[in-house]
Amino acid sequence: MSREIHAKCFPSHCTRGGGRRQKQRCEGEAKSSVSVPRGTCMTMCPAYELRQRELQNRLHRFEVLTGTEHDRLPRADVSCTVKEYSRPAAGKDSTRATDLRPPDILLKTVYYLVDDIAASSTLHPWTEVYSFVFDRLRSVRQDMIIQRISGPECVAVLERTVRFLLFASYRLCGQPLRLFDSCINDTHLQECLSWLLECYREGQHQHQEEFQALSLLYNLGSAQAVQHVLELPGSVRLSPPVRLALAIGRAYVERNPVRLLRLARRLDFLQGCALHRHLLPCRRDLLLLYSHGHSSRNCRFPIQKLADILSLESSLTAQLCRAHGIHVGGEWVIFSKGSFTESLSEELQCAQMHRLLEDKQQDLTVSDIIHGVA
Amino acid sequence: MAHITINQYLQQVLEAIDTRDGVFCAELLSFKHPHVANPRLQLSSPEDKCQQVLEPPYDEMVAAHLRCTYAVANHDFVEAYKCQTVVVQYPSLGGTFQAHKEENWALPVMFAVTLDLRIFANNAEQQLLKKGKGKVGDMLEKAAEQLMSCFRVCASDNRAGIDDSKKWGMLFLVNQLFKIYFKINKLHLCKPLIRAIDSSNLKDDYSMAQRVTYKYYVGRKAMFDSDFKLAEDYLSFSFQHSHRSCQRNKRLILIYLLPVKMLLGHMPTNQLLRKYDLLQFADVTKAVSEGNLLLLNEALTKHETFFIRCGIFLILEKLKIITYRNLFKKVISLSCCFSRYHLLKTHQLPLDAFLVALKMMQVEEVDIDEVQCILANLIYMGHIKGYISHQHQKLVVSKQNPFPPLSSVS
Repeated sequence: MSREIHAKCFPSHCTRGGGRRQKQRCEGEAKSSVSVPRGTCMTMCPAYELRQRELQNRLHRFEVLTGTEHDRLPRADVSCTVKEYSRPAAGKDSTRATDLRPPDILLKTVYYLVDDIAASSTLHPWTEVYSFVFDRLRSVRQDMIIQRISGPECVAVLERTVRFLLFASYRLCGQPLRLFDSCINDTHLQECLSWLLECYREGQHQHQEEFQALSLLYNLGSAQAVQHVLELPGSVRLSPPVRLALAIGRAYVERNPVRLLRLARRLDFLQGCALHRHLLPCRRDLLLLYSHGHSSRNCRFPIQKLADILSLESSLTAQLCRAHGIHVGGEWVIFSKGSFTESLSEELQCAQMHRLLEDKQQDLTVSDIIHGVA
Repeated sequence: MAHITINQYLQQVLEAIDTRDGVFCAELLSFKHPHVANPRLQLSSPEDKCQQVLEPPYDEMVAAHLRCTYAVANHDFVEAYKCQTVVVQYPSLGGTFQAHKEENWALPVMFAVTLDLRIFANNAEQQLLKKGKGKVGDMLEKAAEQLMSCFRVCASDNRAGIDDSKKWGMLFLVNQLFKIYFKINKLHLCKPLIRAIDSSNLKDDYSMAQRVTYKYYVGRKAMFDSDFKLAEDYLSFSFQHSHRSCQRNKRLILIYLLPVKMLLGHMPTNQLLRKYDLLQFADVTKAVSEGNLLLLNEALTKHETFFIRCGIFLILEKLKIITYRNLFKKVISLSCCFSRYHLLKTHQLPLDAFLVALKMMQVEEVDIDEVQCILANLIYMGHIKGYISHQHQKLVVSKQNPFPPLSSVS
């Protein structure tokens, strides 16, 4: 019994996502390094799964053949059906060549998911689009893992996946938990990022700088992320996007939210998405510091100035101040270290403070964003 | 000893096992012992000889060890690593080791063979990478898995009395695992191990050498988690209890202890830095004490490679906050000198004075808003007693002790 407990307490020494991947790789090597499965399925969804899901009435509505939606068993549109993610389980053979898609088909699948689903103007709501694309991208990664795919296709798939998940983390921010779970999104995003950065260790990659910067911004304050970047060759480390990301990280370490928010204005849209989850805590931090630094009964602080520093409208600034127990009177704010409170109210959400990013998005389309055509 | 025959060697192993002489047995299986250089023992297929003398499973274990000496003699570390995994299998899978229920005489053997396993994994990886094969960390990760199974055997030994418990092997294995996890940069994997040791009732009774190593790694981990007080405690323990002959180890400890101490306001003397050949820190120390941001940036850039390799670059960047404090303290005392002359209020300072100071230090694109933010942070942290008046653009400091000593703040 105790052995079981210890196995649980000290599972593998691998990271969560990377661990599974590496384990599969190790086990495969132990058996034989020759018999890596090679997929032969030339469509986005294997024929077997397509039949099964037709029979079991488990097609997603994005996959149904037009005209059969109201049939008892709707038919699948082969050009729209995509292999779904299915959890590995005992007794299930996930290595059949006919069920696996080779690299070029996987990349084609990703293009379909980005261009025809994620960027579609007719499919609604976007939460459903998200959950469909999220699941199908996951199955793409699963196919890559089983076939141990590396190289340019793998990088291209991962880069698009990371961009999609980053964009979703911003676009769906504030959605109710049953529609969007930011925690699960984060887990997958971290998994893909670390896999992608691992791929960058070998060979030359066009978008490396972009993603090293995104990793830094998304993991703001993580010593490990910065250490990773510091160990990279100068050509990457000193590239403009990485330098900006490092400068933002430095502002964070020095606890200088004024500088951080100022530098954040220089980010492009997707970089803004990556940093977005840190902005509210950062603004909160600024109010905390100012509550202590400007704490005096005779002093007051112009709200417009504070709004400029926070990159917010003054009405939102006033709301944010009140939520933290800071006194707001007309055009002035009165800081006092005693009155600052952690915000408990739910009414003020991050999603209300998206203007900075909305301005940046302007006329970028979803497919531009995910393909990285900025 | 060095030139005994294979039969003599096997007899010695047999005797060591029969008399349960763990230390001797460990020597006979360790690569720290001279027998590994004996060409008469370096055999590519010693299985038959071993079977004639030893009982299973010892015959296979010793045979694998001898094959390993053969591989090492040929500088083939990939093969050596493979052989050593076979040797370690016995303690890790139970085998010899678990058969010794309620006994722990074989612990020294496990220590010796697991130590060699880690070293060979490292060498094998280097060898593979040179040939352009394999990936960084792969070999070490596999070695860690095996060490982990040894650890489980030890940690789950609940039945034996305390003197005969295999739990005495836990800390050694944890330290070996730390070495790997730090090397492959997977610090998060240390957490369950730390928990296991912290909750162990033996934790203060392990050998001092093992405890010093343990505290060194846990201290480093605490430092990366920004828990500087804990890091100071652990690293100081490690430094004070290192054997005085271990100058190299003491130097390694200092590389991490110095930044932590500096963050908490204790600056090292030049004498200490010279003694341990750590003059890379000299300019950093000087810059921080003088509040010289310019020199600090220069010093960090100059020794960038060293600091990054040690993984302390980031921590040293945190010293900027203290450098700001020292710089601003200077600004205030300077203006006090002037104002005394002009009979002005000494405890009110224009924010511009600080801006000028920062600009002199060539801080990029700094403006009055940032000055306020830096000051607010210093006030929040307790480094400055006072408040900022935005309307008057002044910093008002307490008349008594506006800059509390660093060691009293944290």
